Amino acid sequence: MGTKQYKGIERKQARWGFAFVVPSLVFFSVFNFYPILNAFYTSFYDRRALSKLKPKFVGFGNYVRLFDPARAANPLSFYNSLKATLTFTLGTFIPLLIVSLLLAILISNLKSQKAKRFLQISYYTPAILSSVVAATIWMLIFDPRGLGNQWMNLILNTPGVDHKWKTDPVMLQVSTMLVYFWKYIGYFVILFITGLATIPQTIYEAATIDGANKSQTFWRITLPLLKPTVVLVSIMAMLQCLKTFSTQYMFYTNGSTRAPINVITFNIYITGIQDQYLGRASAMSVVLFVLMLVLTLFQFRTTKSGENIDY
Amino acid sequence: MQIRRTFNPINLLIYALLLVMVFFTLTPIVFMVTASMMTKNQILRMPFNWIPESLNWINFKRAIVGLDENYIFLRNIVNSLIVSVTVAITTVLLGSLTGYGLAKFRFRGRNVIFIMIMATMMIPFEAIMIPLYMVVMKLRIQNTYVGLILPFLVSAFGIFQMRQYLSTFPTEFLDAARVDGMSEPGIYWQIVLPNAIPVIATLSILAFRSQWDNLLWPLLVSQKDKMKTIPQYITSFAAERNTDEGAMMAAALIASIPMFVLFMSLTKYFIGGSAVYESRKG
Repeated sequence: MGTKQYKGIERKQARWGFAFVVPSLVFFSVFNFYPILNAFYTSFYDRRALSKLKPKFVGFGNYVRLFDPARAANPLSFYNSLKATLTFTLGTFIPLLIVSLLLAILISNLKSQKAKRFLQISYYTPAILSSVVAATIWMLIFDPRGLGNQWMNLILNTPGVDHKWKTDPVMLQVSTMLVYFWKYIGYFVILFITGLATIPQTIYEAATIDGANKSQTFWRITLPLLKPTVVLVSIMAMLQCLKTFSTQYMFYTNGSTRAPINVITFNIYITGIQDQYLGRASAMSVVLFVLMLVLTLFQFRTTKSGENIDY
Repeated sequence: MQIRRTFNPINLLIYALLLVMVFFTLTPIVFMVTASMMTKNQILRMPFNWIPESLNWINFKRAIVGLDENYIFLRNIVNSLIVSVTVAITTVLLGSLTGYGLAKFRFRGRNVIFIMIMATMMIPFEAIMIPLYMVVMKLRIQNTYVGLILPFLVSAFGIFQMRQYLSTFPTEFLDAARVDGMSEPGIYWQIVLPNAIPVIATLSILAFRSQWDNLLWPLLVSQKDKMKTIPQYITSFAAERNTDEGAMMAAALIASIPMFVLFMSLTKYFIGGSAVYESRKG
């Protein structure tokens, strides 16, 4: 009798638990699973928005077109988009990783709590601005008459030189990287400081007793123990960079040429929304998805192995 | 009495480096503030003069009045507020409800559902925006708040955070409330929610910021000026052939004020929010 009643309560509770979960489940089905499946489906069709024509099945046609070597010469081709995205990603995340790790270690070693707090907040402040605001500020700094040239000329001692931040293809890429670096540096510094704080102080004490010097402690203790954080942060940074859009969009609207900053997301936007080639844009979306999926799976695998560290 | 530290050139170098970075991160923000009070010629003067010659508020007036003199910026601010606040509220409510369900109830398929929800974290918004755009077109909800808000009602990350946090919540409290005859929704509303305040704060800030920042989705959904959001409005200044730099900086500053206020009053939730990823491993 008693167990039966207990079972009844349990079943009633299970129903409540399910009811609490259902709204989100429905949401994700409609706004995540359906769209991604739809992206795969649409990528096999020649589909145009606002067109009365029935979508035409083209098989892998859209993908073939994206990776057609003959189209590589076209500066706005997807092939060049991939290149622009990878350049941007590598050019942003490697400096971000190295500089933020360095700053985090320097800050962690400071004695004064006040100085630590001040530095963390100062570095983090750009992150609270929206990407659009960040881009507008830097667009003015990169103006031919702007601060960018004034500072550069001061550092390089080259008075009156225009460094063409927004017009030279390479400089344009560097400029967008710089905006991103500026906006996210504080965020990654804090991630690393948190990671460093999880390394127990006793390990350092033991190392000091054993006579290890500073560089030995860094290479033999800090870095290996920080490896999970390093991997996690670098993949997060890469994922973030692969999705970049606002900065490039702003520079383009402001009059910069599109080709050097035609990153995948930007290309999807132009192809799908402006030019209305939904099938082609969907194929690009699938490529972006697969690219990021591979990185995420890699992240899961490495963070799993990271859990095995015993202090 | 203080112990005199020996002079160490390496320490000096470290301080110099740390301060150069402070200079790098903060100067552009100072630039935004001073430039918002300058005329076009002053903003792009060589060499740049950091102190505005006179406090020039005309930029703010032009930013608000707008290029078409229709005060659309005010409407755009309201739109951004509506979207960001709604998304923050739904993220917290749905996230906590689902997180609570996953953390404290045993039912068939619970783990599968949890894994499915976590799997959506691997689907970047940028990869599904085209299909979502087609959905919006089909439902004819372009240029509506529903269209702007719908894809962001809840986040898998929010659910994950809530689940992690609530799984440490003592089940005895919940059982005690059940014995007292409290209903399950009542327990959620009166016991679980008030005890999740730290996560609620972090998540709502995260959700609010993501929508306050969002440019891509409004670009797809809102073509009508009166349904645009702040980032789109600022973009319109950059798009002008003859950019009004002063007004653009003033609009950018106005757009940033809510974030500055939130940041200064709730610093730990911002910084905690970015560190939150780390707790995944724990």
